[in-house]
Amino acid sequence: MTTSPSLPHLKLDNISIRFGGLHALSNVSFDVHSGEIVGLIGPNGAGKTTAFNVACGFISPNEGAVSYPALGQTSLKPHQLARAGIARTLQGVGLFDHMTVLENVMAGGQSRAHGGVVAGLLGLRSAARSEHSLRADALAQLDRLGISQFAAQLPSAIPYGIAKKVSVARSLVTNPSLLLLDEPASGLDENELSEFANLITQLRETMAVLLVEHNMDFVMPLVDRLVVLNFGQVIATGTPHEVRANPDVLAAYLGVDQ
Amino acid sequence: MKITQILLRLRYSSLGRLVLALLGTVVAICVVLLVSAQSDTYIANAGAMTIAILGLSLLTGWSGQVSIGNSGFMAVGAFTTGIWANHHQSSPIIISLLLSILTGAIAGLLVGIPATRLKGPYLAGMTLAFVTAMVPFIQSLGKLTGGSGGLFFANLSSPSWFANLSGDPQNFIVANYRWAATVSVVITGVAYYFMSNLFASRAGRAMRLVRDNDVAAELMGVNLGRVRVGAFVISAAYAGLAGSLVALLSGVARADNFGLALSIEILSLLVLGGIGTLSGALMAGLLAAYASTLIAKLNALFGLNPYSNLGSNSQGIIFGLLLVVTMLTAPQGMAGLLKKISHLRARKEAE
Amino acid sequence: MGAFFTSRIVSDILIGAAQGVLVGLIALSLVLIWQSTHVLNFAQGAMAMFAAFCGMTMLEHGLNYWVCVLISLVAAMLLGGVTERVLVRPLYGKAEINSIVVMVGFLGILESGASSIWSGMARQLTSPLSQTYFTLGSKTLYLSPFSLFQIGSALTLMLGVAALFRFTKIGLQLRASALAPEVSRLLGVRVSRMLTLGWIISSAVGAFAAIIIATSGSGLFPSNMDGFFVFGFIAAAIGGLESPGGAILAGLLIGIIQTFVADYLSPSWVAFTPVLILVLSQLVRPAGIFTKNTTRRL
Ligand SMILES: Nc1ncnc2c1ncn2[C@@H]1O[C@H](COP(=O)(O)OP(=O)(O)OP(=O)(O)O)[C@@H](O)[C@H]1O
Ligand SMILES: [Mg+2]
Repeated sequence: MTTSPSLPHLKLDNISIRFGGLHALSNVSFDVHSGEIVGLIGPNGAGKTTAFNVACGFISPNEGAVSYPALGQTSLKPHQLARAGIARTLQGVGLFDHMTVLENVMAGGQSRAHGGVVAGLLGLRSAARSEHSLRADALAQLDRLGISQFAAQLPSAIPYGIAKKVSVARSLVTNPSLLLLDEPASGLDENELSEFANLITQLRETMAVLLVEHNMDFVMPLVDRLVVLNFGQVIATGTPHEVRANPDVLAAYLGVDQ
Repeated sequence: MKITQILLRLRYSSLGRLVLALLGTVVAICVVLLVSAQSDTYIANAGAMTIAILGLSLLTGWSGQVSIGNSGFMAVGAFTTGIWANHHQSSPIIISLLLSILTGAIAGLLVGIPATRLKGPYLAGMTLAFVTAMVPFIQSLGKLTGGSGGLFFANLSSPSWFANLSGDPQNFIVANYRWAATVSVVITGVAYYFMSNLFASRAGRAMRLVRDNDVAAELMGVNLGRVRVGAFVISAAYAGLAGSLVALLSGVARADNFGLALSIEILSLLVLGGIGTLSGALMAGLLAAYASTLIAKLNALFGLNPYSNLGSNSQGIIFGLLLVVTMLTAPQGMAGLLKKISHLRARKEAE
Repeated sequence: MGAFFTSRIVSDILIGAAQGVLVGLIALSLVLIWQSTHVLNFAQGAMAMFAAFCGMTMLEHGLNYWVCVLISLVAAMLLGGVTERVLVRPLYGKAEINSIVVMVGFLGILESGASSIWSGMARQLTSPLSQTYFTLGSKTLYLSPFSLFQIGSALTLMLGVAALFRFTKIGLQLRASALAPEVSRLLGVRVSRMLTLGWIISSAVGAFAAIIIATSGSGLFPSNMDGFFVFGFIAAAIGGLESPGGAILAGLLIGIIQTFVADYLSPSWVAFTPVLILVLSQLVRPAGIFTKNTTRRL
């Protein structure tokens, strides 16, 4: 896997999605480069999660194409993402309800671990060893986010803010080179927000980040670039400064017809 | 640390699991040698049931695919064993067992590929359709399967060294019972060992991921279709082994013994024991060993003639009732209850 | 003309249609329950059988056939209502596996219960109408007074249910409670009563089918609905579980196709035919042949 700085990690090219008569996305194009934090914002129902779903291969676009040029990949199926170095968190929490926090984070390394069904049945050494190192890495991730004391708890027994952190920890286990975060900060308190901002800034060193978020005070200082969606269309792109000055964006957020 | 805790710790390493399985098997063999010959027949059958339950626990409890068709896979195993035994009288039983595992797995693949595209009730309905079609289908195969009369062949009989070893060398009948139960217990131990490995492995985790949240599981790199079909194949292979064992124990394979009623019985036992955990499947196995004795006792308690309409059907009614009541009141079964109790106790000790 | 009506193909269609309307009735009864409560009632066939036993065994005490039918239908409605209130209600909002397991358990209770009350032996029900096929000249026309009644009454029942849902106020409330329970509740619909009513109607439809099946076929015995339940389920699934019309049509087709398979291929393939049809239909359109396609929600 070669990562060249000149090629984007993720490229959406003229994507259109229709659900029946609803135009969820119309001619949407943008890209995300290595070392960059891009914010994807827009009012409720603007199509942000749908854009993630296209990027992850859950939905195939009616028109346009998704590619991952820097990773040397075009159109991946969802289960191929992890191996290609792409991780995503789901809107909400999206944890595995009947598994402990530690197991949830270990699940993030599923694509990295060894062994199929037969190796599992036979209890092969190699499989056991890879489980061991996965466990250690998962614990390290929990430590990094300061939540290792919850390792043995079930998701139903931990506070919402912690659960959100667990889902981020889960997506970091594989050391992805492209990270897609769908509203990771919703429901966090002031303290947690600033911790989280620090974490994302650190991540920039090693990966490209695409971030969906509603909380403007949180996004604006954090991102390099913004893409603004409204009714499935890109209505503005640029630095936070430029976007803030854009009257269309203001109109979209205040609910005025553009 | 208490001894139970030490034992529970063992399951985290592969060597520990081997030790656990060996310990359990040795204890069970001791029991087999000590109890009456009558009890041995119950234990032998319970071994086969435990294997089928382990397979269903994987499929339903773990990968979240409800099957009421696993007795159909047992039928495949039983008839494989029967047909093989009639054509190769002197072949060792291990060949029959392995062949039945193979045919069971193939049947699982054939049913699993279309079935895993279905969800929830559709899937359960399709497995039901499979098992109800299987019985008349096997019966219609005529000579190969013995039609509706079934297939008869030699059942397990004790080798002479075992008969000599187990006390009274004159009494071959008792030795046969003991031998059958011992074989069954050993096979169950091996089946349990492999399943406990799978539980702790990456492939086992993949199944649980799919059950809990299929979208997130895909993002973790899990190929949904492959994992679902894989669970079907392993589950059916276990059912095939169980069916083979049932056939070897009785020397008969009759299609209608592997109908819907057996599937319901397996499911009931699994739910009672506790769905989705290994300890639950083991408890279900213990229940299977005691079920017929318990039912007979209950019949006697209420003064029922076991051959009367009610007496001969009380088992079905009781299983059905237990299934409904357990699901409505304690869906985690006995294993879940025990866990809850031990948690409560631990909390009290902590205070 | 007569040669046409007695030809092999038409004969197969007539025999198949008589079976098919019964499969369609079971499918309809399953769809009614699925629509209102999103439970696939695995005990549907067994409940119908049990209710049929309750009434039809009165034949042995000299009661008129139609009175027995009436008693069975009342028993079915009671059973359906009580089942919904006692067994199904606690399952709403729970995991799918819970309702599947409970209904499978109930199936076991009913079949073993029926065996212990009425024994496992098949009872022949004396048919109120002749079951000898008509003849056209020297050839047999595969219709009898009873099979005419069978097809006619099944169709009437289906139309009746459709009319109830489409043209009555109760029907409107039933549909509303199934589609949007919260909104209906706000509008003053007694949603929980409607759910019970859905089960009552469905249960009566199933019991009627069970009585006809027992009268026309191999008699009444505890497991005599197992096969028909499976066929009915498959018909309902092909229709997507949501579409009453689709379920009935699929039921009819299954009956006819089975007859053709038995006649032209081999009777031993009959049992597997519906399974194959289900698999094929699911591969073509997983959401059901008769439902609008929906994408997966994330
Ligand atoms: N599978 C689907 N089928 C039909 N419509 C859909 C589907 N998924 C999303 N939609 C619709 O597409 C539009 C965009 O939805 P999307 O979830 O992408 O919005 P969003 O920007 O993520 O909003 P939010 O901020 O609320 O998360 C919405 O109107 C939604 O109802
Ligand atoms: Mg969203």
